[in-house]
Amino acid sequence: MSDKTYDKQNPAFYALLVALVVMAVGPIAMMLMTSFKLNVDIMSDTSSLIFMPTLRNYETALCDFLWYEAAHVDYCDKTFGRALVNSLIISLVSTVLTLVIGCMAAYALVRFRFMGRDTVSLSTLAMRMVPPAVLLVPVFGIWTFQFQIDGTRAGIILVYVAMNLPFVIWILQSFIVQVPIQLEEAARMDGAGPFQVFFLVVLPLIKPGLAAAAIFTFRVAWNEFLLANALADRNSRTVPVTIVNSMTEFDIDWGVIMATGMLLAIPPIIFTFVASRQIITGMTAGAVKG
Amino acid sequence: MPKITFDQVAKSYGSVEVLPPFDLALDDGEFTVLVGPSGCGKSTTLRMLAGLETLSGGEIFFDEKPISKLEPKDRDLAMVFQDYALYPHMTIAKNMSFALRLARAPKSEIEEKVRRVAEMLNIAPLLDRKPAELSGGQRQRVAMGRALVRDAGTFLFDEPLSNLDAKLRGKMRAELAEMRDTIDKNMVYVTHDQVEAMTLGDRIVVMSDGLIQQQGTPEELFKSPVNKFVAGFIGSPSMNFIDGELVDDDGKTWVHGDGFKLPLDLDISARMNDVQTRAVTVGLRPSSLTTDISRGAPIELKVVVSEYLGAQSVLVTRCGGADVLVETQSTSPVRAGSVQTFGVLTNEIMIFDKASGLRL
Repeated sequence: MSDKTYDKQNPAFYALLVALVVMAVGPIAMMLMTSFKLNVDIMSDTSSLIFMPTLRNYETALCDFLWYEAAHVDYCDKTFGRALVNSLIISLVSTVLTLVIGCMAAYALVRFRFMGRDTVSLSTLAMRMVPPAVLLVPVFGIWTFQFQIDGTRAGIILVYVAMNLPFVIWILQSFIVQVPIQLEEAARMDGAGPFQVFFLVVLPLIKPGLAAAAIFTFRVAWNEFLLANALADRNSRTVPVTIVNSMTEFDIDWGVIMATGMLLAIPPIIFTFVASRQIITGMTAGAVKG
Repeated sequence: MPKITFDQVAKSYGSVEVLPPFDLALDDGEFTVLVGPSGCGKSTTLRMLAGLETLSGGEIFFDEKPISKLEPKDRDLAMVFQDYALYPHMTIAKNMSFALRLARAPKSEIEEKVRRVAEMLNIAPLLDRKPAELSGGQRQRVAMGRALVRDAGTFLFDEPLSNLDAKLRGKMRAELAEMRDTIDKNMVYVTHDQVEAMTLGDRIVVMSDGLIQQQGTPEELFKSPVNKFVAGFIGSPSMNFIDGELVDDDGKTWVHGDGFKLPLDLDISARMNDVQTRAVTVGLRPSSLTTDISRGAPIELKVVVSEYLGAQSVLVTRCGGADVLVETQSTSPVRAGSVQTFGVLTNEIMIFDKASGLRL
């Protein structure tokens, strides 16, 4: 089928395509370019596409991770490096916790008959209906005065897990329902205990669901600003909070902010790419007669 | 290989009683077939034995040991499921060795057992494949192999052949029959197909509406069914039933109905003298009717359809308002639409009470 041809389209169609691409990619390209510019170039009235690219902004942002001492950095501000580490830890830990708790909860809701099952199932969704802004004040109050975990990573992780669990439970429920019950019965006959049935038979079959849930959870945790801004202190700030806070009334270092923005974009891309490879359809093919 | 005893076992879902209390004893080393129409409770019985369903009453004993509180894995059972239930994310070898790996058997032993069973079932070349890459018949073998690798005392089969096409089913049935003779284990087999039951079972338990109707060897069930249900369920083509009335005439007992009057043999008529009722149902196997009228009492039937099956033909005929099937040799063809006289082998006539369905 190498001689596949397409009909000639109306030129307006291409114009529309170009406009859409520019709208989608333009800001990112602009950010990428700006991150390679000196502040002089950024601020100059003659800013253009032609400039001398430099890694200085990245060196400034990552100064405490560099194995050499960047010549232009006389004082290393560790804020961004610390924020990146915070973001990674908070996102990864909250993702793992959410998945572990979520898959067990979803399994119990699907397979076990217990009092209040339907109520629990529904109320998890109700949690999701509350916008984070509504949660903000009560969470801040409770975290600060009752639990005294404000300003810690654990505090932020806790609220992210709570926020993401309902969605993860719901998405995994739909995957677990599709696992034929006969497989679990066969495993029980083969001598597997409840946990072995879950980990050796059910979990491998809902891998696509886990991957989808992981991508979602990681991205929410990575991008979240509102709650992190309220709960974090200097040492536990995540990247989005740091970027906003680096805009002061005295100085906006656009170059560094853009470099930080680029660095912020990379981990979710890698994570999504890795996780999405697990999303294959037809995991349960061949299990039972269709 | 324990002796399995059901003692007043019952099952109900909420207020719906699906199995009233029943007793059943399965002998050591026996191939028992539970057979009955859909919804008769045979699968539930098997699943209670397997431990996949709880008992609502009574107790199951393995030898003298009560087992209803034991987990399935502690009952020394292996089970083959109707839908195969293979683990789709594991290779065939991993599927078959799953139980052994859970039991932490030594690796060399696992490999040895899997290889031996795979060779026995002709699935050795498939060991590295995944279930999705196998055909239905191959999956069925793997499911069987997974149970055989276990070396359990009792094997349970839940309609294992019902998902296969007719030809493959016949082949697998023959292989199962061969396996039955080579493996000295308890086997409990559930099916709705009476042919499977007749060919495989040492003993058949016929169930209907949650009740055990009759149990016995295939021959006992065929020759002396206790009621109309068992008589109609066992045997293919199934038994013909025609309503009639007992009459005494000419010093003999006759059964008389719409379009026929048949004399009863002495031993049957002797039994009929003891019963009060006169309204009966006559049971005639299609094989009890013959085109050779010299061999039996004459009956006139109108042939409606002649179904040619090869060496044999099944004639659908009408006697009064009732359909009567007749099995004949195809060598003596009968034209559809004609009225013909057949001979009834009177010693094979069965008489049932019309009201209760019990055999008289």
